[in-house]
Amino acid sequence: MKRILIVDDAATVRLYHREILETADFMVDEAMNGIEALEKALQTGFDLFLVDINMPKLDGYGFLRELRGQDLPQAPAIMISTEAQTNDERRAYAAGANLYLIKPVKPERLLAQVRMLLGELHP
Amino acid sequence: MALIKTQCVEPIAEEAREAPRDCAGLISRLAASDPTARRWAARDLVDCPEAAAALVERLKQEVDVSVREVILTTLTSLGDPIAIAGLVDCLRSEDTALRNEAIEAMQQLPDAVAPVMHGLLADPDPDLRIFAVNILESLCHPQVETWLIEVIDQDPHVNVCGAAVDLLGEVGTRNARASLQRLKARFANEPYIRFAADLALGRLHEN
Amino acid sequence: MSPTFASPPIWHLGDFMKTDPEQGTIRISAEDFQKFREFFYRKTGIQFDASKRYFVDKRLVERVEATGTGSFRGYFTMLRFQASGEELQALTNLMTVNETYFFREEYQFRCLVDSLLPEIVERKKNRRPIRIWAIPSSSGEEPYSIAIYLLEHWAGIHEWDVEIIASDIDTRILAQARQGLYSLRSIQHLPSHTLQRYFKRQSGGYQICDDLRQSVEFTRVNLSERADTRGYRDFDVIFCRNLLIYFDDVSRKTATETFYDALRPGGFVCLGHSESMSRSSSLYKVRKFPEAIVYQRPLEAA
Ligand SMILES: C[S@@+](CC[C@H](N)C(=O)[O-])C[C@H]1O[C@@H](n2cnc3c(N)ncnc32)[C@H](O)[C@@H]1O
Repeated sequence: MKRILIVDDAATVRLYHREILETADFMVDEAMNGIEALEKALQTGFDLFLVDINMPKLDGYGFLRELRGQDLPQAPAIMISTEAQTNDERRAYAAGANLYLIKPVKPERLLAQVRMLLGELHP
Repeated sequence: MALIKTQCVEPIAEEAREAPRDCAGLISRLAASDPTARRWAARDLVDCPEAAAALVERLKQEVDVSVREVILTTLTSLGDPIAIAGLVDCLRSEDTALRNEAIEAMQQLPDAVAPVMHGLLADPDPDLRIFAVNILESLCHPQVETWLIEVIDQDPHVNVCGAAVDLLGEVGTRNARASLQRLKARFANEPYIRFAADLALGRLHEN
Repeated sequence: MSPTFASPPIWHLGDFMKTDPEQGTIRISAEDFQKFREFFYRKTGIQFDASKRYFVDKRLVERVEATGTGSFRGYFTMLRFQASGEELQALTNLMTVNETYFFREEYQFRCLVDSLLPEIVERKKNRRPIRIWAIPSSSGEEPYSIAIYLLEHWAGIHEWDVEIIASDIDTRILAQARQGLYSLRSIQHLPSHTLQRYFKRQSGGYQICDDLRQSVEFTRVNLSERADTRGYRDFDVIFCRNLLIYFDDVSRKTATETFYDALRPGGFVCLGHSESMSRSSSLYKVRKFPEAIVYQRPLEAA
């Protein structure tokens, strides 16, 4: 079973993504900011990260930059933003994201993108 | 070599007795080249109520995060209108970290933030409105629920409403019920809003 | 029972625990539990899974009664909106175990001798002593454990001087720590040869030997008081276990900023096992060692 880490400060968003992913048989863990996410990533391997941008203490960009600098097997990351600002998108990729989505994400779309990044589905 | 007893804990009592350093001196030290000196100046300025403007000014150009954090902590302690205005400016910054630090600082200042909250929630920039909702997350203020209800009744932006519903799941009472139902109808095609509204409705404090 | 960062439970909406813990008139519903659980996690980082439901409910009911708030609803509102944060502190106290004994969370001392000290020594450009600060010291078990661990498990102790400073806000507990008299319960995790080497049998229990008592400096410090902490500088390692979790958001942030200036660049902070810097500060680098996660003040930019 593939393991996915949901990183978001909003409990409802974590729960929403958890429901979608668990229904599709993924194993899910959660973190509410970049530091906690980094701690978890250092302790357990994940196959994919689902990362919000604005979070207290360490934001999504900061988390990805730190993660990408670690001596770890690197997993793909989806960055999820609230606004369609092209600037955000460019910064997300620069920080190490593999995909950039706009909130709120529809369940089918999320699953399709996750499966694609995990190599389970071809676009 | 071995375990040795310390010789160098400074005579702390002595230092405490020292005359408080003057505020003007501390303000000028905010521009010192050594970040440690800047951190200490920012920390000690908590005793200088008139320092908010200088701290805000420094915050905007400060590159060292450790100094920035201390400036924000001191601004939080000062909590006057100048500090608040400076923090609101930070919300408009391109720098995500600074924005989030400002949100955390404002969460600690319910009485000072309350008068500007209405304006923030009506800002033309949806991102800024989301940040305003984020401030409400940990704000200890009796009006939090009222503000959130206004947002879900009126805000056209799905993500501003989405953030507000998340919080209503925590602080909502029966007063939020009708608005949550209307919101669900308004964004009938958004699975996230439906999910979040149902979750909040299930958690309202009603009995 | 001790709360940890265990992975969150797998549970689904609509599939909450159906059982109603029989607790008199105050009832905590499944939704109440979920709501509380998320709030508590956000504030403290402690995560309770569904299997802790009974444990959590019992304590919530206890606090509803103690505060006279009458219902979960009234209590939760108090918890969420109380500006002083006192009730959250009281509740956190109840939700966490607070015992201190020798070699508690031993993996952290192993991390100190096997990972942190080798790195510190490697970086050191002078022969100045290595400095360790244990705050809060409480009755002394933790700083003495560090001292014993260094003597028993760190070869470098023959080459380096080490200073251990232990601080607490409570002068009575400091007096107790200086006296170093412990109950059987508190020393039960020590190997017998360690006990024989560093303790004397006394009528009231076991007393730390004079050499060790002499080698740890106990001082009174309120971590939240600038004047108290100002003189504390140049530390290589700070142990701060099970204190920040009881602080409110601002005090926690201030405390970690204080540690930043108390540390030498590259110095480390070790927190308690249910604590995380993710609720305090972003100033530190998260470092993973084989034994533990530790937080590091970044080395000065070259
Ligand atoms: C929960 S114990 C922690 C003891 C030990 N480190 C452990 O893990 O078991 C709390 C201790 O913190 C001390 N304390 C509480 N507030 C403090 C403060 N502001 N500054 C320093 N010490 C404090 C108390 O006196 C008490 O001894």
